[in-house]
Amino acid sequence: MDGRHGQWLRGVLDLCVLALLARRESYGYEIAQALDAAGLGRIQGGTLYPILLRLQRTGLVVAGWREGDAGPARKYYRLTPEGAEALRRSAGEWDGFADAVGRIFREVVPR
Amino acid sequence: MNQDAWLTALTDELRRHGVDAGVTRHVVAEAASHLSDSGEPADSAFGAPSAYARAVVDSVGRARRPAGEVRLRATDIYKRYGRRPVLSGVELTVRAGQVAAIVGANGSGKSTLLRICAGLVSPDRGTVEVHGALGYCPQDGGTSDFLLPDEHFVLVGAGRGLGRDVARADGRGRAAALDWDAGTARPARQLSGGTRQKLNLVMAELGDPDVMLLDEPYQGFDRGSYVDFWERVWSWRDAGKAIVVVTHLLDRLDRVDLVVEL
Repeated sequence: MDGRHGQWLRGVLDLCVLALLARRESYGYEIAQALDAAGLGRIQGGTLYPILLRLQRTGLVVAGWREGDAGPARKYYRLTPEGAEALRRSAGEWDGFADAVGRIFREVVPR
Repeated sequence: MNQDAWLTALTDELRRHGVDAGVTRHVVAEAASHLSDSGEPADSAFGAPSAYARAVVDSVGRARRPAGEVRLRATDIYKRYGRRPVLSGVELTVRAGQVAAIVGANGSGKSTLLRICAGLVSPDRGTVEVHGALGYCPQDGGTSDFLLPDEHFVLVGAGRGLGRDVARADGRGRAAALDWDAGTARPARQLSGGTRQKLNLVMAELGDPDVMLLDEPYQGFDRGSYVDFWERVWSWRDAGKAIVVVTHLLDRLDRVDLVVEL
């Protein structure tokens, strides 16, 4: 995650993680795969897990360990009501921000 | 580095940063589980253990102990040079386990206040109490041109009751933590400015003093050494030292306990 794409991602990655957890609870590796499938590219563990720790510390997600059917025990993360509220607020702000940027671009760059 | 070695190194790094044992277990187990799911090498998924440990520490925050007894108390300090008043009624109290930052424009008396606290300059008025052993790192100077780093360690160690071998080993170990191999280094006058500052810093911390007075000790450090320096400040704080740092860089001020603005 280098260059400008990386800079954009740093600003919204925690919100994208919250949004994925709003669908259903999940664990780190699965979240990384979902972010990749959503088109954000491969997010390294070294980037993702510190974000999950921060979300946990600030009470926006809670976590618990669970044995998998196959494979290792995994730490599952779940959105809290505070997390859902933070996501709702930030998603609204993001829309406003992205719209404003889009309007500026559309004035000069035809699509 | 194979996966087990990487996980062991991560465990060690987290412990070095004072991360709680329970949190460490969770972080290491989660990394192991990710590696098992993804099949990636640890270094490419998480980077170097030291870098990942720092990211973890920044995310979970540090466990803070309450501040202890007063280690340094400067009361009603006045100082003028000629007709120019430099310090007028400055107060500073630092307890064990606290970091104080002295900030202000050039010429505002930051270094003067620190030198007064160190007992190197007398105030025109006011008192300074120090409880415990004191280490002082000047902004520049402080090294002896023709002495090797080892000889500096032995000299300063002698003043703090350390034998030659202990002082030399202690100094070299602390230098290594700043990414500097002091054992093979040349006399001080042949060292770069940044390396001489590392020497000053190591001398200040030799023998683990209770009070550390640091005057912009990171001048000439590269980015990595600058980060290492602040990591050391936080670990000294965790170890219960009282620390005063003169600084003009504001990027760490949100993490210090006290700010004195001159």
